[in-house]
Amino acid sequence: MATQESQSTAETTRTRDRFLGSIRREDNLAGFLFILPNIIVFVAFLFLPVLFAVYLSFAEWQILTGDLTFVGLENYRDILYPLPWENDWRVLQVPTQNLWWWAVTRTMIYTLGVVPFSITGGLCVALVLDKRIRFKKAFRAGYFLPVMLSGAISAIIWGWMLNLNGIVNNFLAPVGLAHNWIGDPSTALGVIMLIAVWIGIGFNMIIFLAGLQNIPDELYEAARIDGTNKWQRFRHVTWPNLQNTYFFVIVLAIISSFQVFGIAWALTEGGPYYATTTIVVLIYQEAFQHDNMGAAAGMAMLLFSIIFLFSYYQYRMRGNDEVTY
Amino acid sequence: MPRSSYDYPGYDRSGPVYWFKTISLYAGVIFGVLWMVAPFYWTVTTALSANPSSGIVTIIPETVTFEHFRALFAEYPVQRWFINAFIFAGAVTLFNVTFDTLAGYAFAKLDFFAREKIFLLFIGTMMIPGMVTLIPVYIILSELGWVNTYRGLIAPLIASPFGIFLLRQYFKSLPSSLGDAARIDGCNKFQAFYHIYLPLAKPAVATLGIFAFMGAWNNFEWPLIIATSNDMYTLPVALFLVQGQYTDNWGLVMAAAAIMVIPIIVAFLSAQQYFIRGMTLSGVKG
Repeated sequence: MATQESQSTAETTRTRDRFLGSIRREDNLAGFLFILPNIIVFVAFLFLPVLFAVYLSFAEWQILTGDLTFVGLENYRDILYPLPWENDWRVLQVPTQNLWWWAVTRTMIYTLGVVPFSITGGLCVALVLDKRIRFKKAFRAGYFLPVMLSGAISAIIWGWMLNLNGIVNNFLAPVGLAHNWIGDPSTALGVIMLIAVWIGIGFNMIIFLAGLQNIPDELYEAARIDGTNKWQRFRHVTWPNLQNTYFFVIVLAIISSFQVFGIAWALTEGGPYYATTTIVVLIYQEAFQHDNMGAAAGMAMLLFSIIFLFSYYQYRMRGNDEVTY
Repeated sequence: MPRSSYDYPGYDRSGPVYWFKTISLYAGVIFGVLWMVAPFYWTVTTALSANPSSGIVTIIPETVTFEHFRALFAEYPVQRWFINAFIFAGAVTLFNVTFDTLAGYAFAKLDFFAREKIFLLFIGTMMIPGMVTLIPVYIILSELGWVNTYRGLIAPLIASPFGIFLLRQYFKSLPSSLGDAARIDGCNKFQAFYHIYLPLAKPAVATLGIFAFMGAWNNFEWPLIIATSNDMYTLPVALFLVQGQYTDNWGLVMAAAAIMVIPIIVAFLSAQQYFIRGMTLSGVKG
């Protein structure tokens, strides 16, 4: 009796193992076939190009002959030197040298301006539109509409509104505030930041709304029973529960700000007087206008390392998955 | 469950404080919405008004004219740009949806060798700035002679880690027992995917489709680089060039912008929930 039982158990185990083994084999083959198209595309258009970009940043590419010559660190030296503190910044009113550090500065200014405004703006709008308010859906749609539009198109439309004879100046002229917003080097970057905030508020609003809707109502209920006021409920219920959301939103906003191109290029092509030459605008100009592929690849690698270090730092910061209430 | 104080008994819905709060809240929201929507409105009215470059722009144009649109179509191959944009966005969408659905399913439901590692490798590429790969891809394609062709336009955008991520999240939320049941009934792996899971994943597939289409329709960088002649431009690039040539004739430029803007408004209003769901799916779980 006992032996019979153990025998049948053994048999069951064996059949199950065989069954699972066959599933595993099947899964291996099927899984591989399912991702095969993507593997081909990823290898051809992402992995190989990245390796090629690394090599290219140490090389010089002749656009006419297609020759690649290895030049070592020369590209990086040309990009990084003279170092910012050795550079004559007075000359940079019309920066003919060392555009890299200039572009890094412009991108930093842009990021510092856009990220706080688009995030706090998006959060405020989300908080208001999460409440009981009439025409909520229409308002949400209105705020989201700019997100749908290509950054380049937005830039052209705002370019029309903000030009010297445009609508905005039409309203500002009676107050004496009419100004050539786009043609003036000191305000051109501000216009680009304005457009980016215009787009960013709707984008962040949607993500914050999703985060807000994930907070259980019971928490608010309990907080209310404890006699909290509005601010306390925001500070101790909403804010901690949004932690994952704003972490995601901030990282995304900063990474995309580092890479701003469409708005800047379509509005001013990096001008006037390099005021809107951000990192990616500079890379584009080097690569496709000055045919300087090696230097452009070097700059792209530097941008990549900035973004990588930043993401890694953020990831480590987040490592402890604790919520502080 | 009520969340705002509004729904609680004892909340005073009268008195000057209440009305001040309510009115300022609505005023703020409406002001924000106007800021968001006004540029769209002015795009269309500028395109329709007779002489918009004079600097005197009224809220409602006095005379509505289609002159700018006629001039635009007479001077430029606008139909060709439209067709290009559709071919480009349509092909990118088709490839993205097919490939990413397959891969998203595999990463969610098939237990194959080194699955998580390959997935991380794919997702990790989202961190690479577009410009890093654009330059080598451009060089490779120019060696292949694909510059200024549809192939060159479409090929590099087929890879979309975002789409794989989106579909994987969705397939993960569907129960595995469905696939097991299908397997007991004699389905093979592909049949289980095609007949059981794919129909259930329709909303996510639709979301990805719309996202891919909008992304390609709005893509500016890549067509700007790879399209070198007038008959290969897509709409955003074409609009950029029209604007460069006609800095004075804003009516014409805005007519071109309106052609770009109107389909987007229509698409958004008709498929709004998919956009918002897509943002939500990608945002919350990211």
